[in-house]
Amino acid sequence: MNCPYNACIRETHELRIREGDGEMLTEGLVVVHEYLGEAEQRLRRLVLRGPIAKTAKAGQFVAVQVQDSSISSFDPLLRRPISLAEISLDEDEITLLYRIQGRGTEILARARCGERLSIMGPLGQGFSMPEAGELWLVAGGIGIFPLYALAQSALAQGLTVRLFWGGENQSFLVSAGLKAWQALGLPIHLSTLDGSLGDIGLVTEQLQGRLLQTFGQTKLTDQAHQLSLNQIMVATCGPKRMMQAVTELCMNFAVPVQVSMEERMGCAVGACLGCVCTLINKEGTLIHKKVCQDGPVFRGEEVVWDESC
Amino acid sequence: MSPVDFTTMLAGMTLRNPVLTCSGTYGFGEEYVNYCPLEALGGITLKGITPLPRLGNSVPRLAETPSGLLNAVGLENPGLEEFLRSYLPKVRKMPTEVIANISGFSLEDYVQMANALQSDSGLAALEVNISCPNVKHGGMHFGTDPCSAEEVIAAVKATTDLPIIAKLSPNVTDIVGMARAAQRGGADALSLINTLLGMRIDIDQQRPLLANTFGGLSGPAIRPVAVRMVWQVADAVDLPIIGMGGITTWQDAVEFLLAGATAISIGTGNFVNPQAPLDILEGLKSYCQKHGRSTVRDLVGLAHKA
Ligand SMILES: Cc1cc2nc3c(=O)[nH]c(=O)nc-3n(C[C@H](O)[C@H](O)[C@H](O)COP(=O)(O)OP(=O)(O)OC[C@H]3O[C@@H](n4cnc5c(N)ncnc54)[C@H](O)[C@@H]3O)c2cc1C
Ligand SMILES: Cc1cc2nc3c(=O)[nH]c(=O)nc-3n(C[C@H](O)[C@H](O)[C@H](O)COP(=O)(O)O)c2cc1C
Ligand code: FES
Repeated sequence: MNCPYNACIRETHELRIREGDGEMLTEGLVVVHEYLGEAEQRLRRLVLRGPIAKTAKAGQFVAVQVQDSSISSFDPLLRRPISLAEISLDEDEITLLYRIQGRGTEILARARCGERLSIMGPLGQGFSMPEAGELWLVAGGIGIFPLYALAQSALAQGLTVRLFWGGENQSFLVSAGLKAWQALGLPIHLSTLDGSLGDIGLVTEQLQGRLLQTFGQTKLTDQAHQLSLNQIMVATCGPKRMMQAVTELCMNFAVPVQVSMEERMGCAVGACLGCVCTLINKEGTLIHKKVCQDGPVFRGEEVVWDESC
Repeated sequence: MSPVDFTTMLAGMTLRNPVLTCSGTYGFGEEYVNYCPLEALGGITLKGITPLPRLGNSVPRLAETPSGLLNAVGLENPGLEEFLRSYLPKVRKMPTEVIANISGFSLEDYVQMANALQSDSGLAALEVNISCPNVKHGGMHFGTDPCSAEEVIAAVKATTDLPIIAKLSPNVTDIVGMARAAQRGGADALSLINTLLGMRIDIDQQRPLLANTFGGLSGPAIRPVAVRMVWQVADAVDLPIIGMGGITTWQDAVEFLLAGATAISIGTGNFVNPQAPLDILEGLKSYCQKHGRSTVRDLVGLAHKA
């Protein structure tokens, strides 16, 4: 780290970053990096300060370089995509919440305060916000992370927000930020697999209950259709099977649903076609969209969930 | 410091510098403009196209390996017609040299595309991919059999007035034999190397990690293989070489030039550092200055003379 050669690289690098206005490759200064909740949950909270906060919006992500800063190495080679969990314009800060999953996030977890991380972003298209009415958020596990930024901006816009969140057990939900959600003062429906907090079972059961309560037992009357279009929009993030179930439920009630997809990424800018998601367009044709550039948020109704082509 | 002349002559093209980007890693030229201005590059190579549109392989298409990347995109592309309609008009206006990359499943496929892509298209050259490992019966057959390679290059050469760059597969025992075949076919330059065939297995699921089972390995992991092949071909064949395979830093680029590449191309390196081309250009300049070379052309093949 004290090598003068590295310092020189950084200087020219920073210079170049300052030159261009629409610069998308920046450095984020690590200002907070800590465990989120209990260490055994392996969840981390990383706050980066930098120009990126100015242009970022909920649902977008960054591609972070994961390298031990003291030795330059190309193993791991690729950047890691991580969603924006919080965007703070006042502080010029973004918050990333992540789970230590494998080697890359393991190395990322070692970044210390004061270090600078190379980030590409903000990347992708974020969530689109309803103009009025209610926004229902449906999260599975760590799928909760990108929804926090969305909740914040929805609340700031005066929308009513409701959260459905399922996790393994109480310990997970508490570690993954339940308190921060409660502080937002919105209605929260929790479920856990073991019943240690909230209902026992799946988050989709709670969602279904609420949909039935709102629209009545009859499916898809014209009236319900109208009501749902005007009043409720669902945004979901979590395991693929969960998002598929959420989409199917919402479609039964003609509630529009946005899903945040995940896929292995190479370039993260739409150049390599590594991260495609299969959609069906209005003409009924199967098409590929890039999760990194066209997504990660798509309209649930358009996603072909069981496609293997 | 004295200026360094970067001008590079290659296959009838005059490039402002020897730094290009690889097919399949740089989309259709628009994706990286917020990271690396096109004006800075010697040229770009577009994603490989085929006569008909292709959806490509299922996901997962990518798997990371030690200092490398396996990909099995399966030549997803909009097809020739859509390329001509929607992409070519934009490409014409790009402030750098643009090389199209074509792939096919038969000789007729290649000829059809070469026919549609002539010098009035605004393209600078045609890179003929006879080496894609990710599609069944893809160009691979042409890329591993010298007779077929010669035949396809000759057919393309006879059809278009654009300079022809033959892109060779490293998945052969005799790379020099393939290079000679491409030369006999009339290639104006050679691109080497394409990806090395590989695979990974998910040990939890106990099945291949890529949906396509096999993929092409790229990135720093393959660089020594690529440098060796550039060296061997430079020794044996009198055609300019575009060296590629794992180039990520300026030191890597210098290695390829010294091995005999006239220009270098960056692929997977862009994913790691989207400003790799800019960093490499800066590094090349300092290297030339340090070694008293007024032109980067002086470096080409220098290690052979030692
Ligand atoms: C758009 C997007 C947003 C994401 N946001 C978050 C987030 O906010 N918080 C969080 O904890 N995780 C998030 N992920 C998942 C995160 O990218 C992976 O957990 C991470 O890449 C794992 O890297 P690793 O080296 O630790 O794991 P390894 O399994 O060792 O990684 C090996 C390779 O697979 C890729 N990979 C592994 N898991 C995933 C995955 N689930 N999705 C995509 N690529 C993967 C890695 O990037 C790497 O290239 C997001 C993924 C995407 C696509
Ligand atoms: C995601 C990906 C897609 C590729 N697609 C093509 C292609 O369409 N046509 C082609 O000739 N080569 C293709 N290649 C090969 C590259 O152009 C290059 O030859 C190879 O990756 C080695 O260089 P690198 O290690 O710098 O990436 C692709 C490579 C990658 C990683
Ligand atoms: S990661 Fe390259 S296209 Fe999405």
